[in-house]
Amino acid sequence: MSMDFEMGQQATELRRELRDLVKTHVPEHYLGAFTDNPADLEIAQQFCRTLADRHLLCLAWPEEFGGGGASVWEQTVVREEMWAHHEPRGAQYMGVNWVGPIIMRHGTEEQQRKHLPPIARGEVIWCQGFSEPEAGSDLASLRTTARRDGDGWLVSGQKIWTSYATMAQWCFLLARTSKAEKKQQGLTIFLVPMDDPAIQVRPIRCMMGPHHLNEVFFDDLRVTEADVLGTVDAGWSIVQDVMSFERVGIARYARCERLLSAAPTVLADRWDGLPAELRARWVRMLTHCRRARLMAYRVVDLQSSGRIQPGDAAAYRIAVTKLDQDSAEVLMDIAAEVSHDDPRAKWFLGEVEDHWRYSQASTVSSGSIEMQRILLSRALLAGAK
Amino acid sequence: MILDLSEDAKEYGREALRAFETAGGDQLVQQAEAKPDLRESLAGPVLSELGAWELDARTDVDGLEAAAALCRSAGYWALPYPVAERLAKPIDLDVDGLIVVADNRPSGVVAGLESTWAAVSLDGTRSRVIGHGAAGPGFVTELELSAVDGNGTGDIALGLVLPCWTLLGMLDRALELTISHVSLRKQFGQQLSAFQGVQFQLTDAEVERSGVEILAKYALWSIATNRAEAIDDALALRMSAIEAAEVVFRVCHQLHGAVGFCDETTLSWLSRYSQPLRRLPLGLSATRDELTTRVGGTGLTGLFS
Repeated sequence: MSMDFEMGQQATELRRELRDLVKTHVPEHYLGAFTDNPADLEIAQQFCRTLADRHLLCLAWPEEFGGGGASVWEQTVVREEMWAHHEPRGAQYMGVNWVGPIIMRHGTEEQQRKHLPPIARGEVIWCQGFSEPEAGSDLASLRTTARRDGDGWLVSGQKIWTSYATMAQWCFLLARTSKAEKKQQGLTIFLVPMDDPAIQVRPIRCMMGPHHLNEVFFDDLRVTEADVLGTVDAGWSIVQDVMSFERVGIARYARCERLLSAAPTVLADRWDGLPAELRARWVRMLTHCRRARLMAYRVVDLQSSGRIQPGDAAAYRIAVTKLDQDSAEVLMDIAAEVSHDDPRAKWFLGEVEDHWRYSQASTVSSGSIEMQRILLSRALLAGAK
Repeated sequence: MILDLSEDAKEYGREALRAFETAGGDQLVQQAEAKPDLRESLAGPVLSELGAWELDARTDVDGLEAAAALCRSAGYWALPYPVAERLAKPIDLDVDGLIVVADNRPSGVVAGLESTWAAVSLDGTRSRVIGHGAAGPGFVTELELSAVDGNGTGDIALGLVLPCWTLLGMLDRALELTISHVSLRKQFGQQLSAFQGVQFQLTDAEVERSGVEILAKYALWSIATNRAEAIDDALALRMSAIEAAEVVFRVCHQLHGAVGFCDETTLSWLSRYSQPLRRLPLGLSATRDELTTRVGGTGLTGLFS
């Protein structure tokens, strides 16, 4: 079979449909759900309902769980179009992308009945209780403990960098339930409600926006067997599963490309007057967008065909996070040339400034670039002759 | 989506790798450098045995993918022969191959060869090569041209893309050699590969190499499907390939240390023979300028815009 880079008719039509929906339901000035303006959160809530009504929210879920059984390329289109437009699904994307599928795979029937329908309707926000002050990249060193108490456990400890914790109804919590020879053993996943008075959330204001990062404190939070996901002490395998769902990660290239492509339209007939070197950097970034996109497709293809190897996703993750930051610098330079008289100047300047701030975390969040480099170098050296 | 060459093309590439090794492997470029007039006799027979000149890279998709795989394998061994240029030959001119040239000092890697060549510039002007200048490093020679027509627009993309596949093969090999070297060489009581500073340099190189690999496939597919933007795609590939070569060869030389400059080390040969591929017809800045001018404010178009 010869090469074919076409995604297929269904994926193309889906892209068009999603773009139409965004145009109709998401205001141009929207920069994500987590600004200080509560109306932005409401936009995301409403957009989730709109997608759910059209059976587009859980497109990737298996049909037996009410999903659309979408192809991996349709799922890719959803990831791209949502991220390009500031993830108008809000924090719900996390529930749809991996919390739901993980509960399908590891949850009891009761847990599936309880959690999957609200995720599918886009009504519930989850946060991920993984990182701790002393356990970031080295997650298995975490110190939050769940100690046995009667027929349940009492959870104590602190999580940090927890996105969406101020608004989340549920937490996907990783805690230590026993000490074992290996630190990856003795960890357990609990599904816990965030409205318990034993949980306190403290927002951390940061450059990415006011509601992104939080500290979460657990002070003898009572949990029971019914809250355990999977098997007690075997939570690390579920963590690995979460990572595999997140392997391709955010389609950062899609937003970079959208903003870079918009720049000449904003500057209109002044575009050709920009310094030639700046226009050359712009073309270079567009090429890097294409490169990252195609590298992502390669990961999707390998994963869907079961041929993926450790390290396969890492090269892409390194390329795309660097693209995010490099393109932000080029866009900021282009933004400096924009006049307030230019069409859509206000929109462009807001977008670019937001993109620059947000991109600073690209190489840190969701698996730092150093971790990706370690994974990739291990894979390279494992193949040494 | 199918994001890789066909199994037949990949198998053909592997067969070519073995055949080039049997024909002399790393010795071929060293022998050719000593006597450029031997290039044809050193590389010609093995290429003929592989059926290289029966490949139709112009009108047959299977032939195009096989041609790309062959160029990559030729690059792996720094084969001292312009395989990509031969495979890019136009259908409608009675020549052995095609060289994409710049307006300034049109040049090609044809020193020591008797073949007949056509040249095409980036504005589509086609010429016959009617004379050569003196041979320079990397078998480069300036070309004396006689204009034929202005019908070469359709020749440009293939003429740019196939040499990038050759360069990709060189990057494959350079990185492979470096990974072997850092896995064997010990300093301060441990293998170089145990140092994180070394590991991270390798990843920088691999990110660039793997990025070129997927862009090369995309640009080839763009030609295979006669896309209107095939030349832009080829230039975007070329720009990335030159950038990648800078990173990969810099890392590979650094991690080889002094031995990497020695002629007993294959890296030394690969590195210097990558130069014509990186500078002709245009170097990095000129390639980027050409692409920037061509795309204007439209940018790269294609499937996903």
